[in-house]
Amino acid sequence: MDTESPRLRLSILGIVAFSLFAALFARLWFLQIMATDQGEVEAANNRLRVIQEEAPRGRILDAKGRVLVDNRTSLVVTIDPHGLKDLKKDQRDDMLLRLATELTKSGVPTKVTGIEKRLGDPQYSPLQPIPVAIDVPETLMVFLAERADDFPSVQVRRETVRHYPEGSLAAHVEGYVGRISSTELEARMGTKEEPKVNPKPYEPDSDVGKTGIERTFEDDLRGIPGEITVEVDSKGRVKNEVGHKHPVPGNDVQLTLDIDVQRVTEQNLANELEGVRGTYTRDGKLAQGKAGSSVVIDPHNGNVVAMASYPTYDPSEFVNGISTDRYNQLVGGEAADNPLINRAIGGLYAPGSTFKLVTAYAALTKGLITGSTGYQDNGVYNVGNREFQNAGRFAHGWVPLPKAITVSSDVYFYWLGDRFWKERDKVGDGIQETARLFGYGQPTGVQLPGELGGVVPDPAWKKQFWQSLPADQQLKDGDKWYAGDNVNLAIGQGDLLATPIQVANAYATFVNHGVRHQTNLVLRVLKPGGDPSDPGAVVRSIDPIVASQFTMPDDDYTPLHTGLAGVTTDKDGTATEFFKGFDQTNFGVLGKTGTAEVKGKADTSIFVGVGPAQDPSYAAIAVLEQSGFGADAAGPVVRGVFGYVSGQDQAAACAAQADAAANQAKTANGQPAPTTTTTAKPGSLTVTCPDPPPDPVAPSTTTTTSGKSGAGGGAGGGTTGGSPGGGPKGGATTSTTRAPTATTRPTTTPSTSRPPTTTTRAPASTTPTTRAPTTTTPKKTG
Amino acid sequence: MATATAHDTSRRDPSSPWRHLDPVLVVCTLAVAALGTLMVFSATKGNGDAADTEFVKKQALFMVLGVGVMIVVALIDYRRFQDYAYFFYGGACFVLFLVVSPLGKSSKGAQAWFQLGPFQLQPSEFSKLALILGLAAMLAKWRGDIDLKRLGFALLLAGLPMGLIMLQPDLGTALVYVAIVLAMFCIAMVPGRYLLALTVVGVLGTVGVLHSNVLKEYQKDRLTVFLDANKASSGAAYNLNQSIITISRGKLTGDGLFQGKQTQLRYVPEQQTDFIFTVVGEELGFAGAATFLALMAVIIWRIWRAAALARDQFGQLVCVGVMAMFIFQLFESVGMTMGIMPVTGIPLPFMSYGGSTTLACFAAVGLVLNVHMRRFR
Repeated sequence: MDTESPRLRLSILGIVAFSLFAALFARLWFLQIMATDQGEVEAANNRLRVIQEEAPRGRILDAKGRVLVDNRTSLVVTIDPHGLKDLKKDQRDDMLLRLATELTKSGVPTKVTGIEKRLGDPQYSPLQPIPVAIDVPETLMVFLAERADDFPSVQVRRETVRHYPEGSLAAHVEGYVGRISSTELEARMGTKEEPKVNPKPYEPDSDVGKTGIERTFEDDLRGIPGEITVEVDSKGRVKNEVGHKHPVPGNDVQLTLDIDVQRVTEQNLANELEGVRGTYTRDGKLAQGKAGSSVVIDPHNGNVVAMASYPTYDPSEFVNGISTDRYNQLVGGEAADNPLINRAIGGLYAPGSTFKLVTAYAALTKGLITGSTGYQDNGVYNVGNREFQNAGRFAHGWVPLPKAITVSSDVYFYWLGDRFWKERDKVGDGIQETARLFGYGQPTGVQLPGELGGVVPDPAWKKQFWQSLPADQQLKDGDKWYAGDNVNLAIGQGDLLATPIQVANAYATFVNHGVRHQTNLVLRVLKPGGDPSDPGAVVRSIDPIVASQFTMPDDDYTPLHTGLAGVTTDKDGTATEFFKGFDQTNFGVLGKTGTAEVKGKADTSIFVGVGPAQDPSYAAIAVLEQSGFGADAAGPVVRGVFGYVSGQDQAAACAAQADAAANQAKTANGQPAPTTTTTAKPGSLTVTCPDPPPDPVAPSTTTTTSGKSGAGGGAGGGTTGGSPGGGPKGGATTSTTRAPTATTRPTTTPSTSRPPTTTTRAPASTTPTTRAPTTTTPKKTG
Repeated sequence: MATATAHDTSRRDPSSPWRHLDPVLVVCTLAVAALGTLMVFSATKGNGDAADTEFVKKQALFMVLGVGVMIVVALIDYRRFQDYAYFFYGGACFVLFLVVSPLGKSSKGAQAWFQLGPFQLQPSEFSKLALILGLAAMLAKWRGDIDLKRLGFALLLAGLPMGLIMLQPDLGTALVYVAIVLAMFCIAMVPGRYLLALTVVGVLGTVGVLHSNVLKEYQKDRLTVFLDANKASSGAAYNLNQSIITISRGKLTGDGLFQGKQTQLRYVPEQQTDFIFTVVGEELGFAGAATFLALMAVIIWRIWRAAALARDQFGQLVCVGVMAMFIFQLFESVGMTMGIMPVTGIPLPFMSYGGSTTLACFAAVGLVLNVHMRRFR
């Protein structure tokens, strides 16, 4: 062949061309016809974006269906830290300054330093837009949207956030929500390698319940996020919506709490603490009155009717993320100041004399005593060469069992504790055993995170505890259990520790004759927006759970019952003074005072009460740290709650309000105000005082200026004249008109009816002087 | 039958070159150009309510101008071009020099354009034709008697514009020149051993360029990414991946005109120019893309045929130069979108948006038609 012919060379060129075409055809065939749907899948992956649309969380309701927590929409200004990084330093600073200016102009005062702080706050992922201002007006959203080029990486989002119509009320029970942390996200969604399927998927910027019911009922409250599938172009700009799955709101959770009781409880607790603050206790120590708690449970079923912890906080501060600075400010102070702790379940105290019920019952069941066994109380009890005293060495004389409880004779119980030790071969660790039957030493099971179980010390525990100490703190023979330990235990001191809710539940167990319920905060879970009275709306109901049960013979029950009843009624009862003026005809009160001694500090004042004795529906406890002896500070709190729930103080709420107002005034007068707490928030105390339809003020009492004008009108007749009013504290501003009883009375002349303006309580900020007309009106009209 | 009639007439009146026009080449060229305009529209109309017609209007204008240029080029006897070949060549080199001077406009990392009002002129497109003419004139003069010295001259002639283009730098266009030169050398009867040596030098040169600093890092990245698809982190790999995904979505019949998901959301970069084949692939599917390739194959075939029928070596060399230019551009531009060629910016003849390339391509076809219809005189 002639390889040098142009024709051949042209042919070679043609063959090359043909080969190249063949290659293109082959490749095209392979890509378009042979290849699987891989390309389609990949194309869909990069073309379609699924944007999660958070579902509104379920509401939290009270036992009567009133709203404690719901949702509202909020416009949130966010900055994408990613986009911000692309800006030059001066552009960035200029943009932030302009943003701060616009925010301030629109009514959301903002400083550049504040924005910078948010941007640098480690709680935010740098991959997600960071909220820098919340609740901005619609006009600002429009403004920023129109000037997107001037505000690069700034966006305004419409978010559904938590709304608290009752303010900080029941904040510790509700809890708060916050951005999900990476560990929480991993727990719910798994890792990238091992993803978990979650019917309510979370995104890195999802909110999750952090504490309280928000946390324990997260799975109910959280809705199913919606999904908006959008097509985006190569630059990530959304071009059109191709699919929309609407979010499904979360289920509502109905609590056992009663908003009214809760409010009264919180107000009484706050008022008492703030009232004792700065005063001196019986033993001359300065009462700090900084912290306390109160719980009311229903012995019938363990339902928590009210749960208050002081100081408290405003959960709305956590909406859209609380700043790290503010959070540190909240939790950073002394432990006593930390408002995030729920002391009702997470505070550990020596139950003090409230524990004597257990000791006494243990002694009865172990056969050490009978219901009438007495002991000569000379004020002092000696164990070996150690002397144990009554408070102030007060000698109660001959005390049979019921009276030993009524007067809270320490000596009587020292004696029992000693006997438990001496006869330990026969009775074993009888006190501890009984304590556990009453629920001590284990959480009560309430559906809140952070509940502690307390300590019921016994020889084994003591040894273990001693061994856990570092060697230099292991005192010689500190691992041995002595008679003194038993004696201390018998009066609820020593190493014994309990939470307030435990003590309340122990008393509920007592009045239940040994049936101990798991404490419960939730009645039922409802469909979103469901009506609690509609059975069809119920997703699930939570029935009472009996945690443990033992048989309590009447022979053992009756003397103890008598002793506890005497606490509030007997002339020597340790709490009688606080229940003066309280009509026990239909609402008998069993009670027990307690003092938890804290070395070097003022005593913790404890009072636990159960009522009505006829059919106990409320077991209430108040524990006020560093506030005084026995029931000095705690008694009035429970008294106030019972006054309200018994209907005796329909005006109790008003009285509490008045106190709050007085407090406010006091604060204004230079008293130290709690800096880290939200207590008497103006406007949040809008309790409805009963309009005085038939004014209880009888003609005879209209002449008096005293606030206890209704005392003479009780239908039950059990009035205790001359008592300084039945309010939580016999303060000048209290007024315990008995409204319910007045309904049976004929309406008096119109002139005695107070004008509406004076019946609506003044705002909390109102000073006593402006409130004056309220109390003086009867005089004027009379 | 029309063709047959034309042939009959030509026999009767051989003095009229128009009688010898190749209608197949003309029809295929116009068909491809029309398809290209449509594709440019699809790639640039955007997905707003009102279609963006700026690009397609310009492209249609270029097409009309291109047909005009084609006719003008075909009208003038190609032997007149032979006479002025060095003039074209010299002019082209001068313009290429100007474009790398401060007069030129830099865009996308290469200084390859002049800004003329709303239009950008890319002289390297036209200088391809100038090189083809110049080289054809020189090689034709030697009538196949090429020794090492002459080869050196020819290489110098080819090397000057290529060097200027590497100054821009634009490796893709330079490679087109390499293909043109090799094909023309082949047909000009450069001895086989020289061709082999040149090929080796060309390959080594390309490798050398890739390892030198002539190209910017990202340009090298683009060129080499098709060899290593796992280089996924780079933007070049992303683009290549998007391109392959887009084409493979087309399947047999495609998404339909203007319906390409990837195309309409602009996932592929430069989809109206270098990557326009992805639009064909996605919206028209295998059926459309294969038809396009078939049309191009017919065009190449007709050019090859013109080369084979050419009455002189100059004409044959011009046709082969044009054929090499089209083949290389097509193979590179289409192959790159399918991941079998390096990613480099070369327009797809008659398809890619751009005035310079469209006019140059029509002019090139004009040259071929010119040679073909004057094959008898």
